[in-house]
Amino acid sequence: MEHAIIIAASVIGAGLAIGLAAIGAGIGDGAVTAKAIEGMARQPEAKGTILVNMLISVGLIESIPIIAAVIAIVLVFANPFAK
Amino acid sequence: MEHEIGSHQLAHFAGLTFHLDTLMMTWLTMAIIIVFAVLATRNLKIKPQGWQNFLEMVVGALLEQIDANMGPRGRKLAPLVITLFLFLAVGNELGLIPGMKSPTSDLNTTLGLALMIVIIVHILGIMNKGPVRYIKHFFEPYVPFVIINIIEELAKPITLSFRLFGNILAGEILLLILGMLVPYVVPTAWLAFSVFVGIVQAFIFTMLSISYLSNSLADDHH
Repeated sequence: MEHAIIIAASVIGAGLAIGLAAIGAGIGDGAVTAKAIEGMARQPEAKGTILVNMLISVGLIESIPIIAAVIAIVLVFANPFAK
Repeated sequence: MEHEIGSHQLAHFAGLTFHLDTLMMTWLTMAIIIVFAVLATRNLKIKPQGWQNFLEMVVGALLEQIDANMGPRGRKLAPLVITLFLFLAVGNELGLIPGMKSPTSDLNTTLGLALMIVIIVHILGIMNKGPVRYIKHFFEPYVPFVIINIIEELAKPITLSFRLFGNILAGEILLLILGMLVPYVVPTAWLAFSVFVGIVQAFIFTMLSISYLSNSLADDHH
């Protein structure tokens, strides 16, 4: 019985973790990309620099949501609390 | 599924345990880079062709970034940065071949690389700026900032390693799961995206290393 509760709670937790991570990543990346495209439209010569900086910023912003995704994966597949 | 997530083939040697599959993939990555470098640098021509052209593109782009961020003294650290980028790029892509996993999908590899960069930053900072000035810069601009600076120094290896590890591991697991759920179409799209993600993550790791290393080089003005 306790095992079932642990499994159920882990799955709900994993779903919450990945869902909130997706919202956070989407909002963050959207804000950065919007400003980057606006900058590129204003100054097409700086397209290369802006693109490089945008990719770096997206990678940095996505680091915590990726960690949340890893936690969700660990909870579902390699759960340390089950067994 | 026969491939358990997060399980590794273990090897025991001299009382220590090693992840043998990660080690073998690391050796394979090293072999690929060495062969690639040998192919690119024999019969060097002024007008590059083939392998030499490709490698010159990569090295040229990285040297541009190094010059922009580290200034003129940065060239001494250029071999470290370029090797780091090549290892990460090849390592990240290797896991996309069916049946193989990236060396960077193991936290040990990424943590090792991140700790290497952080330790080099501190040692070079002390060597180039002198121990007194280096420790003093933790207390600038105000003394209470030392807490923030120490937390930042602790966060650097953690975020560096977990960003790369999370991206590559999550990508590989998703590839496995999509392969089980919707074969042939969706995994191909995700595979194409993962090629891009591998290069971007290698570039981000390298750019952050350049940025951290630039702090440890001596400043000319003061």
